[in-house]
Amino acid sequence: MLTLTKDRALALALLLIVAVMWVESGSIAPPTSWQPYGSALFPRILLVVIGIFSLLILVRSLLVKVPERPGAKQLIGEWFQSRRTILALFLLFGLYAALLPVVGYIAATIGFLVTSLALLMGVDSRRKWLINLTLSCSLAIIIFVVFRYGLNVWLP
Amino acid sequence: MTNFFLQALAEVGTPSVLGLIVIGVLFGIIGGSIPGFTVTMAILVVFPFTFAMDPVSGVSLMVGVFVGGYSGGIVSGVMLGIPGTPSSITTVYDGYPMAQKGEPGRALGIGVASSFLGTIISVAVLVFFGPLIANFSMNFRPWEITALIVFALTLVAGLSSGALLKGLMAAALGLLITTVGYDRNSNLRFDFGLPAMGSGFEILPVMIGIFAFSQLLGNIEKLKDEKSETKKIDTNVTIPYGQIIKDMAGQKLNTLRSSLIGSLVGALPGTGGTVANFLSYDQAKKFSRRPEEFGTGIPSGIVASEASNSAVAGGAFVPTLALGIPGDLPMAIMMGVLILHGITPGPMMFEQNPVLVGAIYASLLIGAVVMVLCNLLLVRWFAKISLIPQQILVPVVLMLCAIGAYALNNNLFDIWVLFIFGIIGYLLWKAEVPLTPLILGVVLGDNLERQLFRALELNESWLTFLTRPLSALFLALAVASILFSLYQDRKIQRLRTAAQRENV
Repeated sequence: MLTLTKDRALALALLLIVAVMWVESGSIAPPTSWQPYGSALFPRILLVVIGIFSLLILVRSLLVKVPERPGAKQLIGEWFQSRRTILALFLLFGLYAALLPVVGYIAATIGFLVTSLALLMGVDSRRKWLINLTLSCSLAIIIFVVFRYGLNVWLP
Repeated sequence: MTNFFLQALAEVGTPSVLGLIVIGVLFGIIGGSIPGFTVTMAILVVFPFTFAMDPVSGVSLMVGVFVGGYSGGIVSGVMLGIPGTPSSITTVYDGYPMAQKGEPGRALGIGVASSFLGTIISVAVLVFFGPLIANFSMNFRPWEITALIVFALTLVAGLSSGALLKGLMAAALGLLITTVGYDRNSNLRFDFGLPAMGSGFEILPVMIGIFAFSQLLGNIEKLKDEKSETKKIDTNVTIPYGQIIKDMAGQKLNTLRSSLIGSLVGALPGTGGTVANFLSYDQAKKFSRRPEEFGTGIPSGIVASEASNSAVAGGAFVPTLALGIPGDLPMAIMMGVLILHGITPGPMMFEQNPVLVGAIYASLLIGAVVMVLCNLLLVRWFAKISLIPQQILVPVVLMLCAIGAYALNNNLFDIWVLFIFGIIGYLLWKAEVPLTPLILGVVLGDNLERQLFRALELNESWLTFLTRPLSALFLALAVASILFSLYQDRKIQRLRTAAQRENV
């Protein structure tokens, strides 16, 4: 069975995107007498280019011998395991984006900063908590004041 | 020329704009001095603050960050032995040994003086060549502009060392991103039934997402891998002014050569400060009577490095302003600032917005003076700030990115765009796909499509691209750059295989 490498995963993911977008490009308005080239031509040229490059990346990756490794499922599992912090940061950022319109800028920002600083700095001492809370609260308020009163930008 | 420059100087010389330049330079130096933060990241963080400003104020602030950022690497390079930005790697070669010998003030002083002279010489290059190239490119028709954009993208993709295929694919992917939403004919494309996608993606959240997430999260990964030790530094630095004047007097030719190399490299697409840095250091070594002394802590090494990387700032403006084609990431963002303020960079800018062009010149010059003063007066503080850990920096910058994306249109959808492209950027970075061609594709996509179809509407034959001399030349250069990169890739591959065989 073939081992899933970075290049193979990249090429397969891109080919999938190309296929989905090619199908979707079918719903773009067709060319007319006053728009002879239509709106789908340019993205379709790009999709063909990306498709060709993805195939070349795939073929090249298949020509290189790679040592036998565990299956894709196990590899993905290991990848997630080793990047827990990164995944948690992404998750916190997604949560931040979702909570911004619900609880407002100040509460959401303090929440995001406190949790992500705790995640990265650790929570094993009172000093770290002090730095964390001081930084999170003061920064959230300073940015709010700069945008709201200095730049006239309303934050949610 | 003198007239619009004086008018620009009057606009830039107001207390509020001068204040913005000082803030920009300070932030740039801080950004440049924090290892792993880079000039590009500093520019991205400051970008949203320009939304509510008039063009001259916004551009002056950004130019300040540019000038400060390219010189910011000196502090951490000399004091910590860690380059603050990739464009100051060779500063460490001689700056750090000189500091270790007990002369950190001398190393910093030489670095700052060289940075200042590099910036000034690059402004001269910009003032001289910018209008010349813009004048010449006024003759460009849609065929030439299309071919030039294709050439710029292939050049940038080709320079992604050892990853030509991925670089070209990334450039095409960047162009594809710009096709989402309503097009030039008001036809909807790739909205996938989501009304928010109808207006397409704003360049800013896409750029920030792709670049910032991959870089910041990459820094966190590196921290986990390396478990770096905490450095303690002596921030008690005295600058020996007399000695520095003496040192610089003996470096006239080196300063001029390094600044010209920096300006030239800055003007080439896809190169930037890092290439200028190494090229200039190498040339200084080759021209030196005592090349063996390089790396031991001599003024020539610091001058070559700092004059060249600072000269990139002025040089990089040449293609952006004269042709509307940014050569690197910081310039792509700068172009974003101009577009945001309703100004289209390109040859017409010199005719339509001469005061703004003059404001860029003036901001670069004033920024250089401010940079010297800030570096000499506040070096102790910059050294302390450069020790801010990534664990604190990453969440703060991510938050600023989110607020910046939102502030663009007061639209929460832009934060989601930032987030989605953050994930895409991180995954592409993990797959070793170069991100610069992708971002340049995003910046140039709209223009490429517009020019391509304007050319075809004027003459439906695709062969016209090959029958017009300049267009054919640019396309030939595009093919040549790909062939050259293929040759380089093969060479690297052969060297790797040979090294592996030797190890076995």
